[in-house]
Amino acid sequence: MSTGSDRRSSTSRNPLRRKTVAMRPWDWSFPSAPVSHREVISAQPAEPTGRPPLLMVHGLAHAAWCFGENWVPAAAEAGFPAYAVSLRGHGGSAGARHLRRTTTRDYVHDVLQTITELPEPPVLIGHSNGAVVAQLVAERYPLRGLVLLTPAPMHSAVGDLVAIGKDRPADLLRAVVGQTLSMEPDILFEGLDPQTARTYSDRTGPESPLVQWELLLRRRVGPIRCPVLVVGTPEDRLVRPADVQRTADTYGVEPVWFPGMGHDVMLDAGWEQVLDTVLAFAADLPAWGSAPVR
Amino acid sequence: MGAGPHGLSALKALLQNGIEADGFERESDVGGNWNFGAENSRVYESTHLISSKPFTQFPDFPMPDSYPDYPSHRQVKEYFERYAAHFGLRDRIRFSSDVVRAVPVDEGRAWDVTVADRVTAQETTYRYAGLVVGNGHNWNPKIPDYAGRSEFRGEVIHSADYKGPEVLRGKRVLVVGAGNTGCDVAVEAAQNATHAWHSTRRGYYYNPKYMTGRPSDQVADSLLALRLPLGLRRVLFKASLGIAVGDLTKFGLKRPDHKFFETHPIVNQQLVYYVGQGDITPKDDIDRFDADGVVFTDGSRVDVDLVVFCTGYLVRFPFLEQDWLNWKDDHPQLFLQMFTPSFDNLVVSGLIQPDSGQWTLAHWQGILIARVAEALRVRPSVAHGFLSRSAAEADRRYSAGAHYKDSTRHYFEVAHQDYLRALQDAIHELEVSA
Repeated sequence: MSTGSDRRSSTSRNPLRRKTVAMRPWDWSFPSAPVSHREVISAQPAEPTGRPPLLMVHGLAHAAWCFGENWVPAAAEAGFPAYAVSLRGHGGSAGARHLRRTTTRDYVHDVLQTITELPEPPVLIGHSNGAVVAQLVAERYPLRGLVLLTPAPMHSAVGDLVAIGKDRPADLLRAVVGQTLSMEPDILFEGLDPQTARTYSDRTGPESPLVQWELLLRRRVGPIRCPVLVVGTPEDRLVRPADVQRTADTYGVEPVWFPGMGHDVMLDAGWEQVLDTVLAFAADLPAWGSAPVR
Repeated sequence: MGAGPHGLSALKALLQNGIEADGFERESDVGGNWNFGAENSRVYESTHLISSKPFTQFPDFPMPDSYPDYPSHRQVKEYFERYAAHFGLRDRIRFSSDVVRAVPVDEGRAWDVTVADRVTAQETTYRYAGLVVGNGHNWNPKIPDYAGRSEFRGEVIHSADYKGPEVLRGKRVLVVGAGNTGCDVAVEAAQNATHAWHSTRRGYYYNPKYMTGRPSDQVADSLLALRLPLGLRRVLFKASLGIAVGDLTKFGLKRPDHKFFETHPIVNQQLVYYVGQGDITPKDDIDRFDADGVVFTDGSRVDVDLVVFCTGYLVRFPFLEQDWLNWKDDHPQLFLQMFTPSFDNLVVSGLIQPDSGQWTLAHWQGILIARVAEALRVRPSVAHGFLSRSAAEADRRYSAGAHYKDSTRHYFEVAHQDYLRALQDAIHELEVSA
């Protein structure tokens, strides 16, 4: 960890922020289709601790398992009710058949649905593209706190795609024609033993081409009033550190960096430190409904 | 005041923004009108939503995927219970507490609220910096007066007391009024009563719940999303009804005397069907009652055992002085249908009847109330600038260009997109100055 984080969310005028959106005519006229089953992996503390629930949202081609592996049990152990959801078409959730027609809006719907099933407002943790989803949820729902892990940029991932193309032109081409971005072990992990890394990499599945293309759009986020934590790694091979920095700037916070780790900070060697940072952030949040007027 | 959807969403929005707030509710549970069986609940056994989920729900707390497009009143009640539990609102609400009166003190800077515990009848007075009134506008029945009413030996009820079709069985029933309740009751009378007559003042458009396999309000909203002008939307709606149902006068119904979107929409597919089957006989307005029946304005007469007045409600605030709410023509005229020119710290939430779902608007009214409360505390000049428009804009209507047929029915009618855009602008006005 190289810097501390400033948890005040910014209210200053920022070109990447937009005003409150109440009008959502397309959501009213073409709502996301319901999903028959959603996989939620969860673990509860041995006894109630009064700490806020954590809801974790995975990125492209992953599913709830990537948090279920280490973070969900460890967070519960530390006294936080912990949940990880598989977005539609991923992991154990329904919707695989319609994956190619699935859009980011559907993922936002899935996360909001999961939130309404929680006993109280959670801290939302989004990884990579899951961080994009989490930010879109945060402008609609009053979260306790928002954690963005190696967040895919809302301000367009064109730069990341170009960087990927320089390193691995074939991957770029595949993504452009709508195939799932490569999730090879060396892309996701830095310090993990090769065998485990291979196992995790093999567990990734297909992703919706529409969702991947949507990452190229420039999207502004609405007013987010909850505290925000941004986590990045200098070695990330999918999201450039400059983009992590820019996301953090949007919220007026400094990212917390974890050198020596790969993109999948919840699975790579050293995940405990990242989780500790997240839990310290979550433990320190004001109770919902008690934050004073700024 | 009130733990119906508007009271809940306002309480939530205030707490969410760090503003201390308490709620008072006269019943022992949340839900307001949707608390079936409660004294002032006006839903009946078969009540379902007539607007589909997407615009009806609180946008930050969507209804579960497991709910149908048009949930029942039981599901709606359960939804409010879950909303209140999720946001920790229950602990902040005093249930079984009747607000007896509220009076401004300290030159209007605070309010003394006197509350009677409905169990112990004990009265307590609390002091608050501001009041949000969410006591609803569909609980105080409006009963029209007709000549000969006192001579009539049959039974007369208001739909406020209609809970289910049992009261209709084996009777000759006259249903008065073509609101959504009137049409629902007429249909239930067709199914249960010996015969049903349906008296209406004018002809209406009876909209289907579904069009092209989708809830029809979603179809209507896609036309709005495309920003089609009012005239074109009218043509499209009339054409689609023309294909699906056709000329209503062939069923003996009256021709609508108004254009589309000029009256609150009726969503009822079954009424025309039962008229076609002869189970419902459409009738004119009532002229007078006699001992055994009713005479209509066209001179015809029928014997009836039961008359159900589905004639709507009149808004009342028994705990406030009417003057404080800019009372005109027996209803309050308020800026954005919320803010009174008389006080900065008195707001009414829920005085709206949208042509679509209600609780998306309830949510944004709540957010606006929180923004105003916040601004009054930390940026008073901005708040006062905003509220100073309440006198000038009190009579502004949000009809998206349509001219509503004037009747107490449409005092609070709003075109949802028009009204929500106005709320959004108001929220921006208070936010931009942040």
